[in-house]
Amino acid sequence: MAQVAQMKMFWPIFWPVFAAILAAIAIIVLAVSKRLTFWRIVDLIVGGIFIYAGAIKALDPVQFANDIDNYKILPWTIGVGLAFYLPWLEMLCGLALIFRLFHRGAFAILTALISIFLVATIAAKLRGLDITCGCFGHASQHWNFSAHLAVDLAILAALLALWLSTRAVPARGSDR
Amino acid sequence: MVKSSLVRQALILAALALVPGFGEAIYFRDKISWQSPVPASEMVTVAQARAWGDNAIWIDARPDAEFASDHVPGAVSLNEDRWNELLPQVLAVWSPEKKVVVYCSSLSCNASREVARRLRKEAQLPNVFVLKGGWEEWLRSRK
Repeated sequence: MAQVAQMKMFWPIFWPVFAAILAAIAIIVLAVSKRLTFWRIVDLIVGGIFIYAGAIKALDPVQFANDIDNYKILPWTIGVGLAFYLPWLEMLCGLALIFRLFHRGAFAILTALISIFLVATIAAKLRGLDITCGCFGHASQHWNFSAHLAVDLAILAALLALWLSTRAVPARGSDR
Repeated sequence: MVKSSLVRQALILAALALVPGFGEAIYFRDKISWQSPVPASEMVTVAQARAWGDNAIWIDARPDAEFASDHVPGAVSLNEDRWNELLPQVLAVWSPEKKVVVYCSSLSCNASREVARRLRKEAQLPNVFVLKGGWEEWLRSRK
């Protein structure tokens, strides 16, 4: 029992701390380095996060449809459509980051997705809704609002840092 | 040039994701309703649930404070916040021939269908229904 309680306390703290450290490293190194290897590692981490987040939701689209519905923004039918579509879009964009194919397109989509998600999370909080999901689907149901916010902001920061880095590092499939 | 490449790439990715999305929608077509969060077969009206009489177990999925303030007579509290703690008291009153009716505050709340889903999936209970309109509808039917 004590172990379960410890785990319950550990996970909500672990993810925001992990994401915040990741974002802090990305931003600091952005300022001092333009080295290809570093950005490839950040690509892999951010791409991996989106593949993981997408896979979790793709495995249980029924649950994800309910999670979307919790936000009370979209009609149920549209939420169901998104529940089938968004996880694959996330995974595809994650792969695009990792393989640096359609790199810019993937950045644009993922930045838009995470920004919309951030706004929806804040709006839900302001409306007093009890949000039991995050960008990791129902796996993040025990996170509190600040944990959601920290993770989303960290991912957004990492994406923006990567986006800026593409100015220095040309990607395959890019016109530049 | 860069902008058009960005839009083109984004459109290609968005279009590619449609393929597995459609595939999954077809695969899960029997497991989810596109019309309503709860399939009609898993919903029950207050009148129908009342007609079941003692054969129904009423489960209140609202937070503890709301349950304490008032609830359907004989209802058992089971919410997600204290799931592990409260589940045994539900299982104690459950028997295979009984029907389980879960309710939350209103038509728009999600707690009842989430508790119903977990009762089916995790507790493996059959005949679990969500009360249409929830507590608000119950109060209305009393007037």
